Amino acid sequence: MISLRLAITALLSGLFASTALAQSPIVIGASTPLTGPVSHYGQHARWGSELAVEEANAKGGINGRKIEIDFQDNRCNPAEAVKSVTQMLATKKYAAIFDGLCSSAALAIMPLAERAKVPFIIANASATSIAEKSGEGGNAWTFKVNPTDASMLDALVGWLDKEGKADSIAFLGEDTDYGRAGSGGFETALAKRGKKLAMADYSQKGAVDYTAALTKIKARKPGMVALYLIDADFQNGIKQWYTMGGGIPLTGRVLVEQVPKEILASGFIDGTISVQPYDVSVDTPANKEFVDRFTKKYSAPPMLISFESYETISILIDAMRRSGDASPDKIRDALTKTKYQSMLGPMLEFDNHNLVHNNAIVFGIKGGKVVILGMSKT
Amino acid sequence: MDLSFYAQLLLNGIVIGVIYALVAMGLSLIFGVLEIVNFAHGEFYMLASMLAYFLTAHWSFDYWTTIVVVTAVGLAVGYVLFEGLLLALRGEAFERSILLTMGLSMVLQNGAVFLFTTTPRMIETPLSYQNVQLGEVRLPVARLYALILGVAAFAALYLILHHTRLGKAMRGVAQNRAAAMMVGIDTRVVSRLAVAIGIGLSGLAGAALAPIYSVHPLMGFAFVFKAFAIIIIGGLGNVSGAAIAAVMLGVIESFAGGLLPLAMTDAVAFIAMIAVLLLRPQGLFGRGVRV
Repeated sequence: MISLRLAITALLSGLFASTALAQSPIVIGASTPLTGPVSHYGQHARWGSELAVEEANAKGGINGRKIEIDFQDNRCNPAEAVKSVTQMLATKKYAAIFDGLCSSAALAIMPLAERAKVPFIIANASATSIAEKSGEGGNAWTFKVNPTDASMLDALVGWLDKEGKADSIAFLGEDTDYGRAGSGGFETALAKRGKKLAMADYSQKGAVDYTAALTKIKARKPGMVALYLIDADFQNGIKQWYTMGGGIPLTGRVLVEQVPKEILASGFIDGTISVQPYDVSVDTPANKEFVDRFTKKYSAPPMLISFESYETISILIDAMRRSGDASPDKIRDALTKTKYQSMLGPMLEFDNHNLVHNNAIVFGIKGGKVVILGMSKT
Repeated sequence: MDLSFYAQLLLNGIVIGVIYALVAMGLSLIFGVLEIVNFAHGEFYMLASMLAYFLTAHWSFDYWTTIVVVTAVGLAVGYVLFEGLLLALRGEAFERSILLTMGLSMVLQNGAVFLFTTTPRMIETPLSYQNVQLGEVRLPVARLYALILGVAAFAALYLILHHTRLGKAMRGVAQNRAAAMMVGIDTRVVSRLAVAIGIGLSGLAGAALAPIYSVHPLMGFAFVFKAFAIIIIGGLGNVSGAAIAAVMLGVIESFAGGLLPLAMTDAVAFIAMIAVLLLRPQGLFGRGVRV
């Protein structure tokens, strides 16, 4: 009798355990700036990735298991990023780690993911050194979906050179890995063509007044200005450039969606030629549908960050599906075999540096409007 | 570099200095009278900018009406702040005031993030984009107005402090609270007014600067951090000293940013602060007498 009871108990507990496993969610840990100077971008990273998770769950999740994404704040600060990811990895409940958003934060997370043997997938951080340190001979657990600064700037400088506009470029960027990678990317791409930056200067992140730096740039009379500032810093920079009568077109990664409408419409930055991994106006059916879904859900159109986060999480979920049990090592193996149809057209695969080569969009501003000049594979 | 380059740097420096002064004067006044370092000062400035943004962008208030309304709201908030929170600190340890104002700062900042999100906003009125031009030198109209308002606020505060009974009472409380009480000064009324004026000044700063800088819940930090350096350089609690130090710092920073790598500008402010602390611990204009 006792052995019968034991057998039934064992059978029931086995059933409950397997049901619980089948029903336990697969959790992705995300470290992104939810507060601090670029938290607006963190918000879009969250929106884009949550939309991808929601859509995947609506299709049944992964073998019946729901997907969850747990966001921790890193304030775009490497120390905070290390703290948030260390805490996440200590719990051992995360199947993968997502993003960091800022290059400095992503670079700080990379060794943690490698030590814990958990895939770390990057959507937004653009520093070239991330790809240089990943894949063969490097960090096998880090995967980068967005293009590097170097690859985008090489495409841009090639374009500018063809039009005879690469001879005199002044650079003003934030003093972070993002800004430094921007100037480094320009210098490398220009050096390949026997040219160099006319000047480069760096401001502290979160600075509000750029009048001194812009006065200096204006006095040097460069042909183009590369402004590597983001979010509120970019808005302040572009507004001050306008009120100072800058009158020099912009280049580099110009955040057109953050240029005040009045400045854009005035034609002040006409002649600007820029490169971005994404533009909301890209004319593909998949992108149009994405823009509609995103705008309907969040009452705001997607931006670069939301697009990159959406596609990156979709790639991760695709790898989780193919991995079988969604364990970290199998997800990593599945990621290396990714074939994912991007909204921008190309079929995405990771190269031997675990880097994807999507299209970059070269665009210009003419008559106060954004005009896509072409796409260039990064 | 031609003369217009240096003239532009000088003008930029004076304007940014007056902008610093707008924020620093209120901070200095509150410290002078109450001996409280208001770590939430930046958040009051941020909330004022937010209010200015909503008044202008959503209710189509004009510039001057916005200035008046936001400053008046600032005065009222200062009154409530004193009666509701700071009064409870009377006679208590300095450390408690730091903890209280830091806590208040966090509550206000995160409350604003919750209510308004961190999306940066810009006031887009014609005023935001107009400028006055003299040869090659340009001054945006919004900055010109901020300059005028800053100078007017300083002049008004100076007159109040030095030529009215109320001002004398404030200076009396600042110099010796016990003695001021013994001669019949109502220190509660004087302190309340000092806080109201201090927060009113941050309201004025927020409204005046909203058309110039991007408005978002985390904007308070940038200026207030600098304002702390300014009130130390000017002499803790010395409002005139803070104003003069602010303009000096603005000009020095502008020339440093124009002639040296930009990263040096903040270093200049804090090197100046350290130098003053070493050579003249009471500040450049500190005479042991506050306000």
